[in-house]
Amino acid sequence: MIRFENVTMVYDQKSRPGLDDISIEIDRGDFAFLVGPSGSGKSTFLGLVLRELVATGGAVHVAGQNVARIPSWRVPKLRRGIGVVFQDFRLLEQKNVFDNVAFAMQVIGESRSAIREHVPEVLKMVGLEGKEKRKPHELSGGEKQRVAIARAIANRPAILLADEPTGNLDPATSVGIMNVLDRINQNGTTVLMATHDDGIVNSMRRRVIELSEGKILRDEKVGEYTSMIPVINQDGTRELRVAGPGDRGKAASGSQAFAPFDTEDDMP
Amino acid sequence: MRFGFVLSEVGYGLRRNLSMVVSVILVTFVSLTFVGAAALLQMQITQMKGYWYDKVQVAIFLCGEDYGQTTCADGSITDPQRTDIQAMLESAAVKPYVADFEYESKAQALIHFREQFENSAIVDTVTADQLPESFRVSLVDPEKYDVINELFSSMKGVDVVIDQRDLLEKIFSIINIASVVAIGIAAVMIVCAVLLVGTTIRLSAFTRRRETGIMRLVGASKASIQLPFVVEGIIAGLLGALLASGVLWGLARFFIDGKLAKEYPDTAFISTGEVLMVAPWLILLSVVLAGVSSIVTLRRYLKV
Repeated sequence: MIRFENVTMVYDQKSRPGLDDISIEIDRGDFAFLVGPSGSGKSTFLGLVLRELVATGGAVHVAGQNVARIPSWRVPKLRRGIGVVFQDFRLLEQKNVFDNVAFAMQVIGESRSAIREHVPEVLKMVGLEGKEKRKPHELSGGEKQRVAIARAIANRPAILLADEPTGNLDPATSVGIMNVLDRINQNGTTVLMATHDDGIVNSMRRRVIELSEGKILRDEKVGEYTSMIPVINQDGTRELRVAGPGDRGKAASGSQAFAPFDTEDDMP
Repeated sequence: MRFGFVLSEVGYGLRRNLSMVVSVILVTFVSLTFVGAAALLQMQITQMKGYWYDKVQVAIFLCGEDYGQTTCADGSITDPQRTDIQAMLESAAVKPYVADFEYESKAQALIHFREQFENSAIVDTVTADQLPESFRVSLVDPEKYDVINELFSSMKGVDVVIDQRDLLEKIFSIINIASVVAIGIAAVMIVCAVLLVGTTIRLSAFTRRRETGIMRLVGASKASIQLPFVVEGIIAGLLGALLASGVLWGLARFFIDGKLAKEYPDTAFISTGEVLMVAPWLILLSVVLAGVSSIVTLRRYLKV
């Protein structure tokens, strides 16, 4: 569904590339997490899939097409096959829930009857029945994200990209959103979700692709993610440290020791 | 993209950007009023030419006593000379150019003079002897004045050949200057209108960047993202053109028909009919200008 072949993305000749010679394949129906710290290349990865960006090296294939070779007037067609969800929801404040979802169908020229029929189905799928007439400011964060997801899947895309969809939500609400994404995935949609949220990644037990400084650090079928590690320094003070490549699979050494309150999941 | 949906987007854009849209309408209105006025002045010239050129004649003034011209060296015109000139006017070489001619004696000239300067004191001081005799020649094609001038001005007994159109040309040159001024103002105003349309569309695109961002992501075509903005610009321009047409029509109806035409019944004035001929061009001009400037602006400021 999505295939990267030796993809390099250089923004600026002087700084390090946004993505550095990446090759990876995400199959139809996969659910994959894209993890890594800010600046690791997650957004670049999503931008390349959407053809917001064009790779400076290598080839990005989406749904069998090399996106760099799609003429600009065909790009909208590519994007109709991809739904996108963001951390900040990006709803239209003056439109109600129904109209926000309908908007996605209107702008690609769907008929009014198709919209009337399909939008309620989508809203039911994300768990928003009965809230069609609400305006975004009357909704909770979780509900807003459900509207955004409904809009993203309104045109039945084969791929759903989610860029930190739970970034603004509390853990309990996030669980609801993950259930919605999981349900969408079970219907056959490929879901690729960029996130920082260790808890979600670890509890979903899905494929994890970890990026660091533009390279793939690991790619595991059933993976986990540790973004930070609590440590006790030699002088007895505690602090959180950003997890690095060296932290996986081996015990800390030298001046630092892992703090004893680590979850058993994170430690070998 | 559905028509109704485009319209609702356009309506939303216009409402959200009302003050800018109003300024576009007004600037377009003023600029097109000047364009229209210039066009109408030109039509007025054409109208007057058509009307007057049928009436104006070439006057062949004949020699009187002590006229300075070399052709008048023999003093006042003699009967044989007069017959020669008349024969020349009737000759095969000249006849095709001449629609009609008549001789005006000194006495007749005095009568015409008195009619023309009825209210002036000069009438009483002028005698028939002071006025020259002449042949009044109406030409088939008034533009062929040069032919008559060439043939007759060197004939014995001819003082001078005068094309009465020259007098009209003075009036026309004044009207021409007025229309050049109108065009000049219109040009500046049109530049304003085009830039203002651009700014308005840019502002509109900015206030709706979230909508257009979503449209882009869900795969709306470039045309369907840009169309509402272009329609918005065109509607504003169109309203300006309609206002301009309305004002020009009002001027023609109440100022020209209602006032000028009554005060100067001898003169052919343009009327509302001419305004109706100009109006479609103003409307077309506004649509083209607004359309082009919105498209150019969108190309620069709306990422699709």
